[in-house]
Amino acid sequence: MEAAKTEVSIKGSTKGNGKANTQKEIKQYIVIRIGGERYGIDIRYVDNIVRMQKITRVPKAQVYYKGIINLRGEIVPVMSIRIKMGLEDDVFTNASRIIILKIEERGTIGVIVDEVCEVVNLSEDEIEANTMNGSRLKDSFITGIGKSGDQLISLFEISAIVDERESM
Amino acid sequence: MDVSQYLEIFIDESGEHLQTLSDCIMELENEPDNKDVINEIFRAAHSLKGMAGTMGFKRMQHVTHDMENVFQEVRGDKIPVDSQMIDLLFKCLDAIEGYLDNIKASSSEGEEDNEVIIKELNSFIEKANGKKADDAAPEPAKEESAKEDTAKAAGDDEKKYLQVELSDKEREQLAAAKNGGLHIYGMTVVIQKECLLKAARAFLVFRAVEEFGEILVYRPSSQDIEDEKFELDFSFYMSSSEELEKIQTAAKNVSEIEQVFAEELSDFGQNEEKETKEETKPAAQGAPAEPPAKQAENKKSASAPAAKKPAAGKPATSRTIRVDIEKLDTLMNQVSELIIAKNSLVSIASTEEGSFNNQGFHDQIEYLERITTSLHESVMKARMVPIESVVNKFPRMIRDLSRTLNKKMDLVMTGEETELDRTVVDQIGDPLQHLLRNSADHGLEDTEKRIERGKSETGHIFLNAFQEGNNVVIKVGDDGNGIDTEAVKGKAIDRGIITAEQAETMSQKEIVNLLFLPSFSMAKKITDISGRGVGLDVVKSNIEQLGGDVEVKTSLGEGTTFTVRLPLTLAIIQALMVEVRDEKYAIALASISNIESVPVTDIKYVEAKEVIHLRGSVIPLIRLDRILDMEPIEDERDNLTVVIVQRGDSQIGLVVDNLMGQQEVVIKSLGKYINGNKIISGATILGDGEVALILDTNTLM
Repeated sequence: MEAAKTEVSIKGSTKGNGKANTQKEIKQYIVIRIGGERYGIDIRYVDNIVRMQKITRVPKAQVYYKGIINLRGEIVPVMSIRIKMGLEDDVFTNASRIIILKIEERGTIGVIVDEVCEVVNLSEDEIEANTMNGSRLKDSFITGIGKSGDQLISLFEISAIVDERESM
Repeated sequence: MDVSQYLEIFIDESGEHLQTLSDCIMELENEPDNKDVINEIFRAAHSLKGMAGTMGFKRMQHVTHDMENVFQEVRGDKIPVDSQMIDLLFKCLDAIEGYLDNIKASSSEGEEDNEVIIKELNSFIEKANGKKADDAAPEPAKEESAKEDTAKAAGDDEKKYLQVELSDKEREQLAAAKNGGLHIYGMTVVIQKECLLKAARAFLVFRAVEEFGEILVYRPSSQDIEDEKFELDFSFYMSSSEELEKIQTAAKNVSEIEQVFAEELSDFGQNEEKETKEETKPAAQGAPAEPPAKQAENKKSASAPAAKKPAAGKPATSRTIRVDIEKLDTLMNQVSELIIAKNSLVSIASTEEGSFNNQGFHDQIEYLERITTSLHESVMKARMVPIESVVNKFPRMIRDLSRTLNKKMDLVMTGEETELDRTVVDQIGDPLQHLLRNSADHGLEDTEKRIERGKSETGHIFLNAFQEGNNVVIKVGDDGNGIDTEAVKGKAIDRGIITAEQAETMSQKEIVNLLFLPSFSMAKKITDISGRGVGLDVVKSNIEQLGGDVEVKTSLGEGTTFTVRLPLTLAIIQALMVEVRDEKYAIALASISNIESVPVTDIKYVEAKEVIHLRGSVIPLIRLDRILDMEPIEDERDNLTVVIVQRGDSQIGLVVDNLMGQQEVVIKSLGKYINGNKIISGATILGDGEVALILDTNTLM
């Protein structure tokens, strides 16, 4: 329950921004870190970011599902994006967070990340479509590369993350 | 005006009337002279006709009208009821149901005129009477005029339109209409006391009369009528070029209308005088105060005849309202939240004994616990409906099957009043229907064979429903041939489902269970009724989706019984909380038969599987830690805690580490993401906010 109180609620404050900026084709991304790389998640999908909490293991579930959590009375499945992308298993630290994504029709899902860094605005010309041929498994989850200042951010294709696809 | 908003009422009510008709016609078949039944049929057909007419479904109205006519003759003892007529009546019902299905699907009744049926209906009347069918008409007219007489006798008190106070503007309007050569009619419509949607009825009345003219004055105001701010009656003035009688009849044809008082106001100036008189009364404030008093009086007199009607033979309907199931779902969710909150209070109270060691606090917690439990029960009960609504179509079905299969059979049903959650009832119809058809088609033998076997000529099919603990059990069966397990075996081997060697070692029960495999149909020839290969497997999966299960008992030559077991409710259950290692699981209390402490030395092995011997029965053991993918541990204890769960006749023992106690748990779905998980049927949130998984023990059997 304490974790719920320390949630970073970003939805309300950013939604208005996103709308005002639509004519400039600017999208907002939450930048997260997994291992040494930085990834961006389209803020439209992000419902909430919560601290690491006890995850109840669900036997016989797909390997990349760590289990389920209680998010204010809702049962939310939590996925390890590391395992889904074929990386080594998560190590939970103080910086670890669960990003709660709300996806139309399929419902709410949590994704574990190593760290939440910042929110960036990317206009369309700062995003380069993913040209890599998908030889690396994790590239198939990437829709494009965003350039914010001098750093590169891999932008997640949310539907690919959520889709049923074995990483093994 | 748009009637679509009343379509739902129409569909619901038509369904009810159709059911009444079907029941009554079945009854009539057995007792062709029962006057009460004949009257009931007449009434239902009449209401149906009126409703169809109002909604503008002309074809449906036509069929019901002719059906009503036939009953007019039957009622007058002019034609006898015979089997030919019964058959025709059932055809009528099917036709009307066809219309209704079309209406449900597309809001239009479709193009089928059902001329054949109408012709047959009319030929009945002609045959019996030697007269034209139209002759039926005078009688209802007489009846209506009789009603009018009573209306007149009732006096001016009920003619509230005489008491309407007109504003200047309204008077002008009326005068203008009158000068335009139109008749001005005053009408007061009294709605039946039992009516639930008075505004809808009022709307239907307005719609009916507006076909003839224009309504100029509403009392109460049209807005108030729309908002249902009136008691049982409302009045209006209208202008029309049509005759009063036509309009009055149209208004009366709206169902649930008790009375329509009307007359032409040739000189509403008279009214005006009365008004002015009232207005000139010294106390200007007294005038508005008086009419309500009068109204109250009128209400009494108006409701008196309304109360008489149900006594006249119509079974009193229980006072119910239709509630959108979604609203009940919301209510149920809120109760669930409350229970979770309560559970967390309970857990705080038990863990932090030191700081809350206060008698009053514990009393209140217990009080809260009682309230939430009974609140939950009430909400659950609100969602419960008798299975009657589903099973009452079966007698008709069996009757038809009896004809098509040319077997004599009889359906006996008990426990129709047994209640189940609405969502379950909605979905249980098809599986039950399938089982009954199965019994009729495959179960019962031919008449000759039955006689040969020394059984009664008429085959017996039964459907018994009753409550058993937290479950509702529905048994469907017959006294027919039973399942020929050898034939099943042979067929399974033919189809490559099992090998001949496997068949050797299979128990009777296992063989019968083969019937539930997909695409396993035992029908020797494919008939209309069953044998299309979509069969028992669909029944089984439908029932399992509802959290229930189905079992078969059969004995060759004596009959087969299918036992369907369904949970009373889907959302909240009493559960036993257990611990396996450091994980917590909930097991539905209803499935637990007992809990045993078993010494490790008592474990025996059968076919390399662990079993225990308990009071004469051999129970397979399941190590929950292994089945739940936990790392094996070495330290074996001397005594195992075994929770024995039961499903039908089979039992298994689940080995757990620790028992935590009984708790009311709210079942939450795991969502659509996690799958491949039959053992876990859901999750629940414990008092301390932790999540526990709910084990579906049925899948372990």
